[in-house]
Amino acid sequence: MTNLLKFLTESGKLKTIPRSGWVLRGVKNPESIAEHTFRVALMAWTLGRQKHNFNIEKLIKIALVHDLCEVYAGDITPYDTILPKDTKKRKEMLKTWPRFTEAQKKKLSESKHKKEKQGLNKLIKNLPAGLKKEMEMLWLDYEKGLSREGRFFKQIDRAENLLQSLEYWQIDKSLPQKSWWTQANELFDDKLLLELVGNMDKEFHKTHRPKH
Amino acid sequence: MEIKTFYLTKGKLKELKKEYEELLVSEKNRAGQDEAPKIFESDNLNPDFISFKENVDFLRNRIDELKNIFDNCVLIKNPPKDKKDIIDLGAKVKIDIDGQKDEFVLVGTLEANPFLGKISNESPVGMALIGKKVGDEVIIPSPVKTVYKIKSIKYEIS
Repeated sequence: MTNLLKFLTESGKLKTIPRSGWVLRGVKNPESIAEHTFRVALMAWTLGRQKHNFNIEKLIKIALVHDLCEVYAGDITPYDTILPKDTKKRKEMLKTWPRFTEAQKKKLSESKHKKEKQGLNKLIKNLPAGLKKEMEMLWLDYEKGLSREGRFFKQIDRAENLLQSLEYWQIDKSLPQKSWWTQANELFDDKLLLELVGNMDKEFHKTHRPKH
Repeated sequence: MEIKTFYLTKGKLKELKKEYEELLVSEKNRAGQDEAPKIFESDNLNPDFISFKENVDFLRNRIDELKNIFDNCVLIKNPPKDKKDIIDLGAKVKIDIDGQKDEFVLVGTLEANPFLGKISNESPVGMALIGKKVGDEVIIPSPVKTVYKIKSIKYEIS
């Protein structure tokens, strides 16, 4: 029980760690990683039930597990290694989705995976063997898209991010939107999620459309 | 299990078949419990992360998943010579995106990973690129416009 309690108190730190993407963009009072996890779990459940024969329990568990590693690994973004110190240049860079060479993409992806794997291992190492194994497998499923649920969730995770960017944009119209939409157009290929994204566009841009 | 066509490169199909064989052996030997399958060893994964066989449900689900993929997969092949200048599945495309350079490979949903430049043929960008040639410009209908200019097209399907 002591080890479980330790796991729970450590995981609870996600309630106070802000999501890096919003911090970089200067969003006031940005959501925490745990707040993102809360809604992405709701999305996994409510959208997953519209998919034929999906394992909803597994989907929700993947949602709960997917960012646990960030307790120790932090919230890594693709901008981390390239952002200049100059504030103006930073702002400019954050307007667009960053582009890398094939080798850079591979290196960044491997480095992120390694850090996150270590973070997860550290967090769950003292949990009962069965629970530890289940968490490892769920995280791996998300990372590698080993099942329909894992692949679907990968996109739900980004859809929640897009929704949050729209909500912040509603409050502050100076928040650049282009990087989110560029990413969305290159990433989403699930029909249900493409429909959801289309609805987000309609709902949030009834009166104003983003300029950048 | 969903009925869907999975477009796969030869390399990916080989990798999945290897994984499948190992999972079957693992399932068969589960009672023995002395040999962990070297699955998911591809890309950036370290196999020592898993002792997979302990999770029986996951093992069974993955075997079923792979069976479904094999039953419904189509191999991505090099196009005929007269169509190599047109973007289709398997094409490696150099692109200028609003002044930034990038490189995409058009793949099926199973291999898609935009963070590694692998774009699904079912994504809005993937769908828009298919059928285009060098010099063409693609604009994705989106709240904020992004222009993709096609600089080169290559096929290196393995």
